[in-house]
Amino acid sequence: MARRRLALEEETTKIDLSSMIDCIFILLIFFIVTTVFVEEKGMAVAKPDAAAAAAAPGEESSKVVLELTAQGEVLVDGKAVPLADVPERVRSGLEDETTPVVIRAHEKAAHGAFVALWDAAQRGGAKMLSFNTVN
Amino acid sequence: MPRRTFSTEPDNATSIDLSSMIDCIFILLIFFVVTTVFVEEPGIEVAKPDALTDAKLEKNSIIIAISSDNKVVYGGKELGVGGVGARVRQLLAKDDLPVIIQADAKSDHGTFSALWSEVRNAGAKKISVSTRND
Repeated sequence: MARRRLALEEETTKIDLSSMIDCIFILLIFFIVTTVFVEEKGMAVAKPDAAAAAAAPGEESSKVVLELTAQGEVLVDGKAVPLADVPERVRSGLEDETTPVVIRAHEKAAHGAFVALWDAAQRGGAKMLSFNTVN
Repeated sequence: MPRRTFSTEPDNATSIDLSSMIDCIFILLIFFVVTTVFVEEPGIEVAKPDALTDAKLEKNSIIIAISSDNKVVYGGKELGVGGVGARVRQLLAKDDLPVIIQADAKSDHGTFSALWSEVRNAGAKKISVSTRND
């Protein structure tokens, strides 16, 4: 009698988990293989149409224009300015936070030079920053 | 004597307690399920420009690349500016995702600008340029 009860107890506790483990392993391997860890850093860029909608219209006179030539030179008011001085020039040109700053880049300018100029303008405190492309 | 062998041997040899291993595997599984994002990578290596004022971008985005010779690539295929516009429109119809443009520092600004306009016309609300991860 005692022996039979022992056998019964064994039966109730055992669940065969091996097939479930197989399933979970397959899921685990699928997710490990498909996982990509995307770590992107960057800056949001806008053209004037989006930026101008937020700014007050008709303030054409009070904006800072930075020109980028095909050779990668930065011009402010038609004069060449080294990239290191751009933040200072932008800061002095801003009346308040909403003064638009426009980067007018030549289409043959290198993208790296454009990003560097965008970065410099942001360091100068430009909030309403946008770009135009000229040829 | 025969009874002793019956009670100890077969039971001991077959049962291994797997429950703690299953716990472990479940934790791993949940981690991978939660962190997985299905992003189509452009599939080319670009020399991204460097910037100081950059910020972390959203993981779940549409990533388009411009190579140094001004080729527009999405999902491992060279689609051109017009082709990418059509794909982005398709993708945005399902889900409103931000767009990241990974342009090579040596590519032309004109290509980037054209791609920007195309993606904006396709309905993207937030468009970012990708910068170097440092």
